[in-house]
Amino acid sequence: MKRISAAASWNAVPDVPAARRDVMSRLIATFIFRWRYPLSALCVLGALASIPSANITKIDNDITAWFSRSDPVYQDYERFRAEFGGTRNLIVALQASSPEALFSEATLAYIERVTGDIERIDTVQRVESLATATVVDAVPDGLDVRRLIELSENGGPDAVRRRAVEDELIRGDLVSEDATVTALIVSFDEDRIDAVRGGVIQQIHETVDPGLPPGIQAFYNGSLEISETYNRITLDNQQKFTPPILFFTVAAIYFTFRSFRKTLLALFAVAISVLWTLGLYSLLGFSYNVLSSMILPLIVVLAIADDVHIMQHWDEERRHGDVEQAFTNTVAHLTAPLLGASATTALGMLSLATSDVVAVRSFGIGSAVGIMVDFVISLVLMPTLLSLVRPETGETPHERYLLPPLQRVARWSTRHPGRVLTASIAFGVLLSLGIFRLHVDTNHINFFSRNHPLGQSAAVIDSKLAGVYSYQLMLEGPPESLKRPEMLARMNQLQEELRRAPHVRKVTSVADYVKRIHRELNDGRSEANVIPSDAGTIAQELFVFTLGGDGRHELERLVASDFSRAQITVKLQAMSSDLVLEEVEAADRRARAIFAGTGVSVLTTGSGRLFSTLDHYLVMSQLSSFATAFVTVFGVIFLVFRSFRFGLLTIVPNVLPVVAVLGVMGYLDISMNIATVMVASVALGVVDDDTIHFINRYRREVAAGASTDEAIETATAHEGRASLTTAIINSCGYGVLLMSEYKPTAWFGGLLALTMAVAFLAEVLILPATIKLLPGWLGAEALRKRRGAAAAATVVLCLFVPGVVSAQSVGRPSGNVSLTLDYEPNRNDTVELRGRLFAEEKIEVTPSLRATASGFVEGLLASRPGPDLGTGEVRNTAITDAVIRAHDAFVELTAGRLDVRAGLARVIWGRLDEVQPTDVVNPLDVSRFFFEGRSEARLPVALIRASVFLSDAASVEAVYVPIFRRGRFDLLDEPTSPFTPRNPGEGLAVCLAIGCPTLPPEIVDDKPSAGAASAQGGVRFSATSGRVDWSVSAYRGLEAFAIYQVARSAAGAPVTIEGKHPRFTMIGADVETVRGEWGVRGEVAAFVDDNFQTPALTIAEGSSVEAGAGVDRKAGSYRISGTVLFHHERAEGGSQAAGRIDESRRSDLSLVLSADRRFARERYGVRVFGVANTTEGSGFVRAIGSAELGDNLGLEASIGWFAGEGRDLVGRFADSDFAYLRVKYYF
Amino acid sequence: MTFSCLARLVCSVGALAAASLLPVQAQAPRLAAEAVARRAQDRDTGHDSRFTMRMKLADRHNRLRERVLDVITLRGRGARGAPAAAPDGDRLLIRFNYPNDIKGTSFLVWEHPDAEDERFLFLPSLGRVRRIAGSEAQDSFVGSDFTYEDIGGREFEDYAYGFAGADGESASWTPPGGAARPAWRLESKHKDGAAQFPRVVSLVLKDSFLVVGADIFNRRNERQKVYTVRRIEQVENIWTVMDSEITNALEKTRTELTVERADYNVGLNEADFSRRELERGAGRPGGTP
Repeated sequence: MKRISAAASWNAVPDVPAARRDVMSRLIATFIFRWRYPLSALCVLGALASIPSANITKIDNDITAWFSRSDPVYQDYERFRAEFGGTRNLIVALQASSPEALFSEATLAYIERVTGDIERIDTVQRVESLATATVVDAVPDGLDVRRLIELSENGGPDAVRRRAVEDELIRGDLVSEDATVTALIVSFDEDRIDAVRGGVIQQIHETVDPGLPPGIQAFYNGSLEISETYNRITLDNQQKFTPPILFFTVAAIYFTFRSFRKTLLALFAVAISVLWTLGLYSLLGFSYNVLSSMILPLIVVLAIADDVHIMQHWDEERRHGDVEQAFTNTVAHLTAPLLGASATTALGMLSLATSDVVAVRSFGIGSAVGIMVDFVISLVLMPTLLSLVRPETGETPHERYLLPPLQRVARWSTRHPGRVLTASIAFGVLLSLGIFRLHVDTNHINFFSRNHPLGQSAAVIDSKLAGVYSYQLMLEGPPESLKRPEMLARMNQLQEELRRAPHVRKVTSVADYVKRIHRELNDGRSEANVIPSDAGTIAQELFVFTLGGDGRHELERLVASDFSRAQITVKLQAMSSDLVLEEVEAADRRARAIFAGTGVSVLTTGSGRLFSTLDHYLVMSQLSSFATAFVTVFGVIFLVFRSFRFGLLTIVPNVLPVVAVLGVMGYLDISMNIATVMVASVALGVVDDDTIHFINRYRREVAAGASTDEAIETATAHEGRASLTTAIINSCGYGVLLMSEYKPTAWFGGLLALTMAVAFLAEVLILPATIKLLPGWLGAEALRKRRGAAAAATVVLCLFVPGVVSAQSVGRPSGNVSLTLDYEPNRNDTVELRGRLFAEEKIEVTPSLRATASGFVEGLLASRPGPDLGTGEVRNTAITDAVIRAHDAFVELTAGRLDVRAGLARVIWGRLDEVQPTDVVNPLDVSRFFFEGRSEARLPVALIRASVFLSDAASVEAVYVPIFRRGRFDLLDEPTSPFTPRNPGEGLAVCLAIGCPTLPPEIVDDKPSAGAASAQGGVRFSATSGRVDWSVSAYRGLEAFAIYQVARSAAGAPVTIEGKHPRFTMIGADVETVRGEWGVRGEVAAFVDDNFQTPALTIAEGSSVEAGAGVDRKAGSYRISGTVLFHHERAEGGSQAAGRIDESRRSDLSLVLSADRRFARERYGVRVFGVANTTEGSGFVRAIGSAELGDNLGLEASIGWFAGEGRDLVGRFADSDFAYLRVKYYF
Repeated sequence: MTFSCLARLVCSVGALAAASLLPVQAQAPRLAAEAVARRAQDRDTGHDSRFTMRMKLADRHNRLRERVLDVITLRGRGARGAPAAAPDGDRLLIRFNYPNDIKGTSFLVWEHPDAEDERFLFLPSLGRVRRIAGSEAQDSFVGSDFTYEDIGGREFEDYAYGFAGADGESASWTPPGGAARPAWRLESKHKDGAAQFPRVVSLVLKDSFLVVGADIFNRRNERQKVYTVRRIEQVENIWTVMDSEITNALEKTRTELTVERADYNVGLNEADFSRRELERGAGRPGGTP
């Protein structure tokens, strides 16, 4: 009878995962206890080191902190800005009690003076005001374009007023119809303003406010003022509310635990978590902004929740155990639920990493990292701190006052589950009705009260002037096209249509100027206020207009000097961002329709589009994150508890609080906006915490033999108490925010408190009631019976299955989880966090037939450099990527002397270490080659391999690879990877090849198509002669990494660079033997058909030889090895297509040396490895340190340094120096 | 011919296991020390054997790490009762199943009576069978208190044998909770004085020629390692050490070895010890050889 392995049968018992989890939790607890002081010291030192980078008041105002530079909306804006300048402005509205007060000599002089003063402020580009506005008048010899304010010289202020109100180009923009309000519109150099925004705006305030004439009031608005106000309020709120939040939090912790010590310890632990989070946030290369300031409350809320659970459990354990027992029991008990709760929230936050908004991505990644760090710190630091203080084993207030009522609640819930669930559902339905009143709307002005300066200024500007918001349409056509009559007529038509839109206050374009000029040149007759039908007339009139400097400058703001581009400005009143976006999109559609077929393209942009799109992105990404987090909750619970049933059980108690919050928002008319969607995400983090803790406790109690009611009562009384305590503490703290004048802050505080309250109720009422109503599914007896049944089934399987399939055996899936933090200093301080889960399953169907399947999920969070499209500078951006891939997936058949392997697999040829010239079957992943070695770097390919063992000393192997797979520089976001060599389309090579193109070349990887064209294969004969193992091999394959050549392109089209994978033929041999203490290995590969990249971007054909010989031995405590590698290549000619012939020969010699040593019974190891190419002058040195932290847990740190540049393998990775730290757990 | 003293891992559980067919010492003629060593070496341990063992490694802080390994052995032609088709020397294949980071790592030894042994290593991370030099015999075997030499074996002729102390021929061994059993205290002295462990004093049971204890001395003649057997059992009539421990007094480390399963004469042949099988076996579920 075939033995079924103990592991396999053990694994089949459903309760075993819990047992295994317990074992794992216990191991973790023991580990932490043993290392508690060093680990705690690490926590504290890390926090101290983070202090310098934890300055959240240093806010990054750059628009690229929000918009990705590759975002099309941002790129459109940049394109517009390059032609007409930026549209993010500051509006200063001056309101007078009467027209006379505004248009007095003193006020006009004030306006003229202030305009000049503001224009002199650094970064200010232009000020539009009554002092700079121009008017056009016909004079006998043409047109008189002069400044409006000059009219006062002859006609006094009244003349200025009359003309300003009459002139439709001035009215609305610069003066109200009733002549009581005027505006100064300040535009800035947008490349510089964000860095100094706060100071410049303050300077403008200081310029305007002090000298205001009597009866004149100044109001400030505009996109820059709004953004700056956000920053100001965020910082003000932090300063204003942090002390009361801290006070109430401290008070609440003290009153629930009645212990100064615990209060201080909790605060200390929370502070450490916060500092770590902020430090890592900076380390990841993220900048602080208004959104990232939300990380602080998020971490505080979750850290307090974790610490409350730990303190409460510690007290219980410490009563009947010593420090070690209390420590290990507390940590063992809480590891799984805290991990589950943290991982759920972190994954939810991590889903924000896919957002289009840079700030959201930073927030998502930063908070996810923070949450997991907080989990570790809570688990390590809090118990350690508790172990240092005198035990307080007396009854605490939360026990005295909360325990009995909660026990009563539990009993009541279990006695009346039907009523509880009915009432809950009714409550849920009632609240859910409010959701129908909920609307998605972000109105920045409405975030402030009417009395707030921003609200007041918006009211003035919207009611008296042309409005706070604006957007632009940029028209682009051939030179001179946009002054043609038909184009101006279409512009005029578009303007008329846009003016009819409900929220549009004013529309301006060059067409208005043409009409005005034409009217003035026709004696000011109103019927002449049209676009002339004759192109010559228009050209001449515009020429006359631009003769004066003022006219030319005014026109340049609306149309390019060659009339190939023109803009139409649309001004809107303050309103919801969603409405702005709708207006913008409708205008875009209309403009495209009007200009269709004319050769003129339309681009809709401006600050209105920029910020409305940003708001849209924010809300959508948050909603998406929230949805992801919601699904993740069940996934994580399933993983943590390995239970589908308990995953389902979490739905109701998690749904209800969210429904309640959304419903209440609907009833209170709180919109779903950029502020409130954040509440939902934070809320879910809190809600699922409660659920996970409850379920964990319930299952533990059941496993310990408790009945359903007993288990529910214990879970409710203990975990519910912690939830209630957490809710009280956080509600007290964040309830203070309700007093904020900034509505989003107030909503955040109120809704958070509401969520916690409902989450607590759901935990202590709905969970118990649901369990009671489904006794056959979730009850204690059912759980135990299932275990018994499963165990029985396993026994039956053990007895019968071997008889049925006598030779079957199925292994337990194995694999590993690793987390690698790496840093590449020469690639703009690239920082990467790589997580990988690898799993493998092997099945022996019969002794001669086996199947292997493995796969992995790998994720990347990185801060990698990317080119700034605007400036060409290289800046780091957050990169995220994830792949899920099958690894090996093959079957193996053994029949006598024949072995056949078919599927996705790897085949290893060659005998040298790491650098194996004949190892050509599988392509490599370069990043993994450096991080994990050649074996891990091989990418499996679809293949069939047949090996015939002629004897034990001789075998023949044939490999057929029908489908080509290319090598990768990095499986994760390859284009930005630090291991990807520079783009072949950049730099000198292109210039040499095609003469410095003006358009960026297009790079195409021309992979061979499936079929005979991409088939590869080879044979290898291996034998042993005496003590010498040797092989000869031949392989006809395709270059795994592309070689580039310039393709012919049509005139005017971007140059195309093709990445080709030409064929090569390799004939190789390798040998290995042992002589005394020495291992001797050698390998030679002759590539009789080979291909090379030439500097002129062509492919040169030729041949090459790579040969290596190495020795290794033990020397004292060290293992040393040395290999000499020789490479020679001969390129016979370039691509005929490129019209170039290149010939070259190149040889180089490399030396590879390594030494390694293991210490402490192989617990620790050190390895140093170096490659030096004596010919190319390139080299690579690497040091690796490893530590076995446990039987299945390893830590590895490595530094790799590349020296010199060259055409050899190492030289191509110049500047790819790296350092990494990896922790790997095997299961 | 290799000498299977304590030094040999397989010895410690298999080859060191008793030759149960030997006559009881009380009725046997008086033996010279070398003859005792030879009998211990040549005792019947089956034509082949298969063990599953759990190795616990304790460091100086008593922190434990575990290794689970499968060992298969095949006796060479020189062994008593070996068939003619048997290989020239003993064969040994060790495969690690736990912890998972070294799972699949396999070590194959071909002993040759008249030549240097051949050793091969299969590391899953390497992906191929690698011929290794004998120098690795001096390394610690996966961090344990055993060395690769302990596993691969030492040459019988490299040692000189004698009885140690006054009670060399009248010693006894008492298992935990059991009765005392007569034993020899056998001293093996390496002919090369520069050897790392030039002297071993072993306790060999007279009724079974099973080694149940040993003191291993270093070049300074300090007792550096102590091998202690805690439990022996008869498996298929072959005495087998089921539970043993080796401690390193200088380094204050300890390795416990427990046999979880032992089978003899299971029908293994030379093909099970081929390089093909070394690589192929790593592909088996659980890596069980």
